[in-house]
Amino acid sequence: MAEHSFPPRSSVKRWLVTTNHKDIGILYIVSSLFFFIFGGILALLIRTQLWTSGEFILSGSAFGQAVTAHGLVMVFFFLSPFAFGFANYIVPLQIGADDLAFPRLNALSYWLYFFAGMVFIVSFLQGGTIEAGWTLYAPLNLPAFMPSPGATTAILALLMFVGSVTASTINFIVTIHTHKADGLSLWHLPMFTWSILLTVWMMLIAFAALAAALLILGADHIFGAQYFTATEGGGLLWAHLFWFFGHPEVYIVFFPALGVMLETYQTFTGRRLIGRKWVILAMILVTLQSFLVWMHHMFLTTINLEIKTLMMAMTIGISLPFDLIVFAMIYTLLKGRIRYTTPFLFNFGALLLFILGGITGVFLGAIVLDYEFRGTYWVVAHFHYVMFAGGTALIGGLYYWWPKITGKMYNEFLGKLHFGIYFIGFNLLYFSMFLSWEMPRRVFTYHTGLETYNQMATIGGIILGASFLIMFYNLYTSYLSGPDAPDNPWEYSRTAEWATSSPPPLENFEGVPTYRNGFLEFEDRNAVADGGHVEHGHEPGRHPDHASWWPVTISFAGFLMLIGLAGLGEHFAYELLFIGGAAFVLLSAIGWGLEDFYAPEPLRGAKWPFDGVHKNKFGMWVFLASDIVIFGAFIGAYVFIRWGYGWEAWQNVPAESLPGLVNTFVLLTSSFTVILALVYAQRGNRRGVIAGLLATIGFAFTFMLIKSWEWNFLLPEAETLPEAVTMLVTLDFDVLFHTEGPAIDASIMHSTYYVTTGLHAIHVLIGVVALGYLAWRAWAHNAYIDGNERPVENVGLYWHFVDIAWVFLFPLFYII
Amino acid sequence: MWVFGHTGGGSDLRTQESVFEEIFLVFLVLGTIVGVVVIGYMLYNGWRYRASASDELEDPPVLGELPVGQGGGKKLALSFALSAIIVLSLIVWSYSAVIYVDQGPEMEENMEVEIVGAQFNWDFTYENGETLTDTLVIPEDQLVRFSVTAQTEPRLDVWHTFGVTELRIKADAIPGQTATEWVLADQQGVYLAECFELCGAGHSHMTADVIVVSQEEFDSWYELLSEDPDEAMENIPEPEEN
Repeated sequence: MAEHSFPPRSSVKRWLVTTNHKDIGILYIVSSLFFFIFGGILALLIRTQLWTSGEFILSGSAFGQAVTAHGLVMVFFFLSPFAFGFANYIVPLQIGADDLAFPRLNALSYWLYFFAGMVFIVSFLQGGTIEAGWTLYAPLNLPAFMPSPGATTAILALLMFVGSVTASTINFIVTIHTHKADGLSLWHLPMFTWSILLTVWMMLIAFAALAAALLILGADHIFGAQYFTATEGGGLLWAHLFWFFGHPEVYIVFFPALGVMLETYQTFTGRRLIGRKWVILAMILVTLQSFLVWMHHMFLTTINLEIKTLMMAMTIGISLPFDLIVFAMIYTLLKGRIRYTTPFLFNFGALLLFILGGITGVFLGAIVLDYEFRGTYWVVAHFHYVMFAGGTALIGGLYYWWPKITGKMYNEFLGKLHFGIYFIGFNLLYFSMFLSWEMPRRVFTYHTGLETYNQMATIGGIILGASFLIMFYNLYTSYLSGPDAPDNPWEYSRTAEWATSSPPPLENFEGVPTYRNGFLEFEDRNAVADGGHVEHGHEPGRHPDHASWWPVTISFAGFLMLIGLAGLGEHFAYELLFIGGAAFVLLSAIGWGLEDFYAPEPLRGAKWPFDGVHKNKFGMWVFLASDIVIFGAFIGAYVFIRWGYGWEAWQNVPAESLPGLVNTFVLLTSSFTVILALVYAQRGNRRGVIAGLLATIGFAFTFMLIKSWEWNFLLPEAETLPEAVTMLVTLDFDVLFHTEGPAIDASIMHSTYYVTTGLHAIHVLIGVVALGYLAWRAWAHNAYIDGNERPVENVGLYWHFVDIAWVFLFPLFYII
Repeated sequence: MWVFGHTGGGSDLRTQESVFEEIFLVFLVLGTIVGVVVIGYMLYNGWRYRASASDELEDPPVLGELPVGQGGGKKLALSFALSAIIVLSLIVWSYSAVIYVDQGPEMEENMEVEIVGAQFNWDFTYENGETLTDTLVIPEDQLVRFSVTAQTEPRLDVWHTFGVTELRIKADAIPGQTATEWVLADQQGVYLAECFELCGAGHSHMTADVIVVSQEEFDSWYELLSEDPDEAMENIPEPEEN
């Protein structure tokens, strides 16, 4: 779609089809604020219940749902998306890019997030949502303890959210590494962009672990697998998987807020950041170390003392970089000219709150104290002081960038009033929780002796909630009738987003930003286009596309499919919804593939160390990195459970290893044929390309045939292969998975075998679709032989990965 | 008092309560001092360098400059080192107590009780095989060792956490895993045991009474428990008023 047909912002259609990063940023911010209100209402319900020590407005089950949904909504559907609203809007501006590397994928990320939120809301309507706490500890998180389909729906909502995050992660990693303006090296990135870069690298690994945990949990829910009911360590397995994600998640939520603080501490003091390179190094250290501390959430479990000690040392180690960052911000205040505007008040307050959260966190790091604090309100108070300190900084970020985004100024007096009331409410609410720290978490009745502190907290909660009425009123009136904002409303701001109009034009800057001479300059767009060497993928004279219907369509189809999947076996309507939704997803994915969407890479810029890597290939590598973590988590889960079971006592499910061995050779051969296809593409041999791709597909089908024969052989309910296929096609999961004989729930050995090889089989099938698409394009459009063989190479990379994954699975499940 | 010196046996037996209270107090005092100093310093400078009272900046940042830092690294390194020393020494100091708290004191005589959590009750099984539900009777001044788990048979149960706040003891009760914990109660009385991990709709009500009585009273009751369990459960001993 060309630029002239891009609808204006006043049109609803614009917001459904837009792929522009600024529009997506606004969509994220608005949606996340909606979820903030939703989570906030749940919080007020919790606080109302806790007004008295006895029974009040909620039942035990309703209270469990409220605390669970409050945590999930605030962490997943508010904090990160709110931060990524700013990341979407601001990061491309700060690095001088026109848009993200994959604008259409960015729109898909948003819509997946939006519909994941909708799936989550639907879970409330299906007899109650999940009530296992946001940590979803096993085996309470299973249908045996929460039979309503709402619990399954909530898990699928989270899975869909993880899909959104993964797409977004790939997009931001590629964008920040390869779309920076000329002369803007990594060292010189603005601090907000630095914080987002480190956040997405953490997200890439951490959310893949969560994806694995949720996929396994989904298999337990829907197909009756038995991972988390296994007494050989099922409960601990969940805790390990969850916290391997969950601890980095704390920094994932906090880092963007830290980025806002680091920007505003410079802008509103008129000083540059003290010890800038040490702050960056400290943040990199936290990023790496965040994956080595997860067991400090499990000090009271049966983990041995040596490992606990190691985890304690790591935990204390990770608090030290934060000390440095805090001191750097405080020293930046010195000798400045500090202006207490609303954005800075919130960020100044955020640091105060974070210091309190940090000090009380050191208490938790000491094992002896943690033994007692575990499961109490000390933990609740601490993480609210830390995570909501982050939230405080982000609210400051909303005021900071509001003039840029809307082109309007807000009312400064109302902003300050908001901060004052907010800060009082915050401390009354959460400091009271420190005082009542002996109270267990997530109880809806408690000792009468703690009533005073709880009532203080409830009053604080109401004040905190009410302060946001002022904010929404202020922003609403500002948007409608506020004075126009100048391009740069803040004296001493430095970063590039202030060097364009408020709001910026579609392509962000009139000229092409460059830092080649050490400061921001703009070059003539046409001169750059003419002067640059023409690469493949660049079509001179063609305008980039900004609109596509497919992101919203695919996400909506996914919404229908997941609702259907959650209710399989409940009602016939769910099965129809699932089949219809799945077909809809496939069709819209094909529509996506066929659409000619043009999003060029910048012709020059600072890309070190990824010079010369095409963005699609880079994106594929980043995706594969996250997929490696998913397979790693599946294999880790298998090894963990087998270890608990007794390594030698374990019996492999396939009685014969020969079919598996044959399959190994089949897949390895297919890796060879896909390389052949690439070689023929480079030589411009059309028939060779098609033959190579078809041979690869043939081997994939051979693999799947042997696999389904093996599964069929192992599942005696289906006597013949056609019968098994019929069951699959008609979704007769009850017969397929829930019969006597060695079905998926026959034993933990069967569960791990079917689930892990099933994950691999899904990868093979996705590969077949992609290879088929390539073969069809090569046949119908003579594609890939004109020098642009990159799609063959990228799908080939994926295919090699699928083959290598099998090389690990084969010995684990057939031989050892 | 300020130097933690137990060797894990002999004359310096300590309750979990006293170990916790001591460490908590030290952390609280130091944490408060650090908090007051850091926040005070921040507020003071925030006030001192407010725009209305400050001079013009010497080298103000300019829009569009390449982001760089400002000096001041020495001061930063110094404060960082100081904070690191405080945090590290606190942790190393408190660590000497971890082994004691983890393994308990060495005493010749001790009794063992198995604790099993199941939605939404606590079962306490004594060495003689008798089980009490939601009530635990233990003798004063004697080491009691617990093994803590959650029910797996006849029906798999969920993850619970057994804790008695006043005695400062806590252990995760996970199906298929057995955690250990110990208590040395030096005061007679009735203490409340609670569940500290969300375990379902009845989580808030998953409580039990831990009754600490004198050694003599416990011994006679325990004898009765072995001979006539029903009678013993009817006649739970009561702690003496202090």
